[in-house]
Amino acid sequence: MTQQLTPAQARISFADLAARLRSPRTLAVLAVCATALLLPQILSGSDMPVYVTLLLSAIVVTGLSMLMGYAGQVSLGHASFYLIGAYTAALIATHDKPTWLGLLAAPFAAALVAAVIGIPLLRLRGHQLAFATLAMQLILLNVVGQQEWTGGDIGLQGVPRLTVAGYEFATVSSYAYLALGALAVVVLITRNVVASRPGRGLRALATSEVAAESAGVPVVAYKLVVFSLSAGFAGLAGGIYAFYTGYVAPGSFPVLLSFEFVVMAVIGGLGTIWGALAGATAITLLLQQLNELGTAEGMPSSAPVVLSYAVYGVLLVLVVLFLPRGLVPSARDWWVRRRRPNPEP
Amino acid sequence: MTAGTMLRVEGLGRAFGGVYAVREVNLSVAEGETRAVIGPNGAGKSTLFNLISGHLTADQGSVHYRTGETLHPIDRLSAHSRARQGIAIVFQGARLFHGMTALENVMVGAHARTRHGFVAAALRLPRHHREEAAIRADALAALDRVGLKEWAHRSADVLPLGQQRALQVARALCARPRLLLLDEPASGLRAGEREALARLIESLRAEGLTMMLIEHDVAFVARLADRVTVLDLGEEIAEGTPEEIRGHDAVLAAYLGQESAA
Repeated sequence: MTQQLTPAQARISFADLAARLRSPRTLAVLAVCATALLLPQILSGSDMPVYVTLLLSAIVVTGLSMLMGYAGQVSLGHASFYLIGAYTAALIATHDKPTWLGLLAAPFAAALVAAVIGIPLLRLRGHQLAFATLAMQLILLNVVGQQEWTGGDIGLQGVPRLTVAGYEFATVSSYAYLALGALAVVVLITRNVVASRPGRGLRALATSEVAAESAGVPVVAYKLVVFSLSAGFAGLAGGIYAFYTGYVAPGSFPVLLSFEFVVMAVIGGLGTIWGALAGATAITLLLQQLNELGTAEGMPSSAPVVLSYAVYGVLLVLVVLFLPRGLVPSARDWWVRRRRPNPEP
Repeated sequence: MTAGTMLRVEGLGRAFGGVYAVREVNLSVAEGETRAVIGPNGAGKSTLFNLISGHLTADQGSVHYRTGETLHPIDRLSAHSRARQGIAIVFQGARLFHGMTALENVMVGAHARTRHGFVAAALRLPRHHREEAAIRADALAALDRVGLKEWAHRSADVLPLGQQRALQVARALCARPRLLLLDEPASGLRAGEREALARLIESLRAEGLTMMLIEHDVAFVARLADRVTVLDLGEEIAEGTPEEIRGHDAVLAAYLGQESAA
């Protein structure tokens, strides 16, 4: 039976809604969403690829932040799942199968691989897990680079454009909107998971697996699910990447990319979804700016290396030193302190 | 005979590096009983609790636990499965979950008796909404019971030790356990906090909850326990009512040394 609201109740609901809409948090969310939607219309042709890369990174980092920030499990090999997603999509699309099937299969393939290798891997903790995930990527790159069916070092060329229900994603802005949609889904899933029963279980096991077990949290299963879920997100980003660039090769997924994802998650602030988005944005833009500056006219030949490694490294060290919790938690603390009334003298 | 028995431990043994922490322990705890486990440091009390809760696996012997009308062996069950069967444990140290509020810490306890998982949460299915509301209400009630309701929305990390211990008890209660294991819940507490804890245990006892309690304070044990099991060097050396235990020769010998007892 549907409940009918009385006019008075309806007024109260509208008043609640209006109050919610006026809250700084909601306004910030709306502003970010509006900007994200408008950017493909505003950005120039040369800036659009950076925007798509940023969005794809944000998808991966949102999952990685859930894995590292909420569940306390480190992965230094998350680009592996990006690779698996990209190759899955590319292999399906280049074998005359529908391209949408490739995009659909990409996250599932990455999640499935994560679930299988996660069984032995997630028995490890801390730096051992970090090294094991790193090793996983090195092995995967080696294997992919040597197989004929993956195209070896050259990879798979000529991946057709993605077509869904007759619509072909042909322009860069269409991929930007596709990546935005995927990011929205990933953020929504992550938000729903972390603020729920399984999310509390994940946060609990990050502190103490023994205490979490004693509270009934199936620690091994939860670690496996969150590892697979975050791998699935990376796989989805990889799938979009394959259709967007039109080719996939092992060289597109170096170990450095995995480190970059971790840096994005840490700089943005682990354990917050906004941190993942802020980290992906800040690092992508920083790298692009440093790259542009290094290759600008009149710069010495050593500039690109100095800027991309030394200056980048120094900036990261400074952020970690002065904002150890990351950009978003630090900004949130600052905001709370600013709003708190000063104590009476 | 198993009628009225909640837990039966048979020939339980566990060694670390060739040294037995628990050896050939046999005990039976009745439904609704409060059983104290006492013994000098290193007697194997916490190891016994960890063997019952499933955090350690036994080298020998077995643990039987009442599910339905009969006792069943639970040796092959993991710790979280045993928690789902109604065994809750409050650890000696404060094992709180960092970065979570007091309320969220207690809500984790409800894991043992709720079901919705990642899919229901991610898709916000009706089951998620139903269970979340019930978990929150139960957690608030558990916090209220241990006197921490006003701390509900504060970070658990800032709680003083006494409140941290109480929070752990609230988390265990939120699981609605059938067997509650309390490992030195009163250690490090101030007099007022000990009294509040004793009253809470008394009220749980009055409700018929089966409990096992590790405690050093004899007066605390005498007040709260129906029966006492005494361990020394991993072996059970005595069992009886608090009055019987107080004058037991082997107990005096274990605590005071052989000559003093003689």
